[in-house]
Amino acid sequence: MALLGRRRPVAPLEYTRKTWMRLWIAGVMLFLYAPLIVLMVFSFNDSKRNVVWKGFTLKYYEKALNNEGLIEALVNSLTIAALATVFSVILGAMAGLMLWRFRFPFKGSVEGALSLPIIVPEICMGVAMLIFFAKIDWPVGLPWPLNLSAITIAHITFCFPFVALVVRSRMASFNREQEEAAKDLGAGEWQTFRDVLLPHMKPGLVAGALLAFTLSLDDFVITFFTSGPDTVTFPVKVYSMVRFSVTPEVNAASTILIILTIALTALALKLQGVKAIADAH
Amino acid sequence: MTVIRSNSSNLRMGRRSLLQSLGAAAVGISFAGLAGCGKKEESAGGGKIAPTGEEPKLNFYNWDTYIGETTLGDFKGASGIDVNMTLFASNDELFAKLRAGNPGYDVIVPSNDFVERMVAADMLVALDQAAIPNVKNIDASFMDVAYDPGRKYSMPYTWLTLGIGYRKSKVKAKPDSWKVLFDSDEYKGRIAVLSEAGDMFRLYGKYLGKSVNSLTPADVKSIEAMMVKQKPFIKAFHEDNGQDLLLKGEVDLVLEYNGDIAQIMAEDDDIDFVLPKEGSQLNSDTLCIPKGAPHPKNAHAFINYLLDAEVDKKITETILYPTPNAAAKALMPDDYKNNPVIFPPADQLAKCEYATYRPDMQPLYEEAFTRVRAS
Amino acid sequence: MSLENWQEHKRPFAAIAGAPLTWLLVFFLVPMAIVWLYSFGQNAGPADIAITGTLDNYKRATEWLYLSIFFKSLAVAALVTLICLIVGFPVAMAITFASDKWRPWLLLGVMLPFWTNLLIRTYALMMVLGGNGYANKALGALWGGASWLRTLVGLQLLDAWSPVQLLYNNFAVVLGLVYVHLPFMVLPLYSALDRLDRSLIEASLDLGAGHLRTLWTIVMPLAAPGIFAGIMITLIPALGAYLTPDLMGGTESQMIANVIERQFKRANDWPFGAALSFLLIYAMFILIALQSLRGRKPAEA
Repeated sequence: MALLGRRRPVAPLEYTRKTWMRLWIAGVMLFLYAPLIVLMVFSFNDSKRNVVWKGFTLKYYEKALNNEGLIEALVNSLTIAALATVFSVILGAMAGLMLWRFRFPFKGSVEGALSLPIIVPEICMGVAMLIFFAKIDWPVGLPWPLNLSAITIAHITFCFPFVALVVRSRMASFNREQEEAAKDLGAGEWQTFRDVLLPHMKPGLVAGALLAFTLSLDDFVITFFTSGPDTVTFPVKVYSMVRFSVTPEVNAASTILIILTIALTALALKLQGVKAIADAH
Repeated sequence: MTVIRSNSSNLRMGRRSLLQSLGAAAVGISFAGLAGCGKKEESAGGGKIAPTGEEPKLNFYNWDTYIGETTLGDFKGASGIDVNMTLFASNDELFAKLRAGNPGYDVIVPSNDFVERMVAADMLVALDQAAIPNVKNIDASFMDVAYDPGRKYSMPYTWLTLGIGYRKSKVKAKPDSWKVLFDSDEYKGRIAVLSEAGDMFRLYGKYLGKSVNSLTPADVKSIEAMMVKQKPFIKAFHEDNGQDLLLKGEVDLVLEYNGDIAQIMAEDDDIDFVLPKEGSQLNSDTLCIPKGAPHPKNAHAFINYLLDAEVDKKITETILYPTPNAAAKALMPDDYKNNPVIFPPADQLAKCEYATYRPDMQPLYEEAFTRVRAS
Repeated sequence: MSLENWQEHKRPFAAIAGAPLTWLLVFFLVPMAIVWLYSFGQNAGPADIAITGTLDNYKRATEWLYLSIFFKSLAVAALVTLICLIVGFPVAMAITFASDKWRPWLLLGVMLPFWTNLLIRTYALMMVLGGNGYANKALGALWGGASWLRTLVGLQLLDAWSPVQLLYNNFAVVLGLVYVHLPFMVLPLYSALDRLDRSLIEASLDLGAGHLRTLWTIVMPLAAPGIFAGIMITLIPALGAYLTPDLMGGTESQMIANVIERQFKRANDWPFGAALSFLLIYAMFILIALQSLRGRKPAEA
């Protein structure tokens, strides 16, 4: 398909096949990836510091993979991010729909309150969470994964308003007549939601989920204030490890993470592609 | 510095003496019956109880790269206690995190002024001296310190001093005065200083011939003016990563701790460290037990273990910081003991002071420094 | 578009409003209320705060020193947002109009760097930008090439290359913030552009309008909600960024979030930190309120 496509003339909307667009994308990708490539290259550097190239080694991979603390932190981070994403998408979609659809008293205040978690400086929210969980005596020392509950709650809190924002802006384009048509044809509230609203919302949900996952996976400040001795996440671990500069060990762990992500996505796309072809037949 | 390597013959010796000292610690804290036997954990019931009578767990909150490579494993072998070490990056974070309540840490490593602050906030447990017999190894000069008289709450772990790290080939003369950093355009655009307001003001005070602890609001005003004047010549206020800037060649002179510079001197021959002639500020990182620690007895046993001569020798070999442990220092090779960067000459050290915790001055430092940065 | 009155649809309203509002109240508004109370208090000891109802913290926070830092931060964040919009818009367009095969890869391509830890990424960027970094080496090589070309046409050699200062100044802070916040702009733009009616664009092009004009008159207005969401999601976190200015900034690159962070940590002055935070929040609220007022009028017209 791609091979054949090269010979066709460029259609007006095929922006991805225009040279200036391709150059632009290439430039952005270079900007985004140059630092990452440097990071990956230096994960093979035989020096404690990421400063000068001293020779090739794989020992930092060995070290990273044997660093139980780092692996544990990574598992914690992924668990929290996954949980936070699921809950944020649900809560965020609900909030987005509510704001898009209904007129209700104090709507302005509710809207403001919902955008607060986006606005509040991270450190302020971190401290608020620290005090909150200390004041209500949130149980600590629970078995995994219950001990991650405080961090997960905090993450959902700052992630779901982002989802709500995206979902709402997506819904703005929804043609209400479709919904009414569905209802006229006898579909119930739930059926209309499932078959008409949800498909329209989907790109917003995907974008929201990606945002939530990214925010949760990368959050340091709020996590720092809600974590305990047994609940260290990857960013918290890394942050404390780089006091004396980033070691190749951290680079190695990041490289593994990047490659893993690409591999998993490729696999998912491949499976989906096979399925799509199967469905078509 | 690469010469520092332990030889395995006295390693074995060390392990045994550790066991003994640990046994002694256990006598101090728990019932005498548990202490004598070798496999304590089993004798105490199904491997669930440490010789201290607590569950065999300990949460250690430490700085990164601040422990020997095998120390925690050795401790587990000796005592059966599993140490879970997590890391913090600055005293401020440590304090901010513990101030609303202890989420479960047993041993923490605050610096001297934060020991004072935490004692003032009633956040530390008074140590049971009898449970820490290895305190005998500590150099006498570190025992009765102003920030913790009689060592009631803290045991010294390392000490360090601020000075100037520099690239030898890029300076005309040895930069042995704070003047080059604080009051001169000689190395314009090639210097980096700390971003911590308190340290900066105290060191300026030192440059002006005052004690680090006697600054007045009027001094803060005049120092602020000096800082504003010096700011155009400074490349960056670094977050305690000055050694990186120096190693990368981003700057040629940097205000840093001696231990940090000693670490990079092993990698680059062109780097040196000088303690300015006006004197400087001393810091000491200490072992403390925060209030609400779930395993205080294990914590005592662990602190005692870290103060053992052989154990601290191995830690020191890794982290290359000055140790206050006289017995451990005696075991170290000469190129550590006689390293003028790690152990500056006594006459220079005499001019250095510990900063005390001054709740009245800290906000002034902060606000003045914010003004300097905004100017 | 007319909104439904909640009273006429109580059950669906309760079904979707209950959970998010309860969550927000319990896990956000209550904790924030405690900090809000702190902003009217003062330190009563190293770890105690007495809530005295004082307004001193707000008085201090509205001094020119802090206001000027705030305005400077706002300017930096606005610039970052603008650059993100300019850089990100074509990327979002490309993702939207890419083939089904390529779309997930482009989306992933934009997101992937952001699944690497922020701090690690920032350090990596610093390695590229440093005085002896790769950006400077590449520029140096270009300079050397240009110099060599000049000799070919008989001109003199250029002066020796001296590294450009790409780190430890405001430029580095802006660049670093753009690097960090770009996907936050691309994602909402993509989700807004994705639903555009393509026939509109095709019609515009068929009628002889150029691509730029079509973009300006058709695409932009239709994508406005997405652009607004993107601006919100980029501007506000950029205003709250402290790590990038800390690590990449020079002596003058202090942003309001750095000041706030120091109050909660080094200065140990939580009441003042709280007051500064809430001033920032009030300011944002006013901004959003103004925006929604402006947005409401044309919609009702």
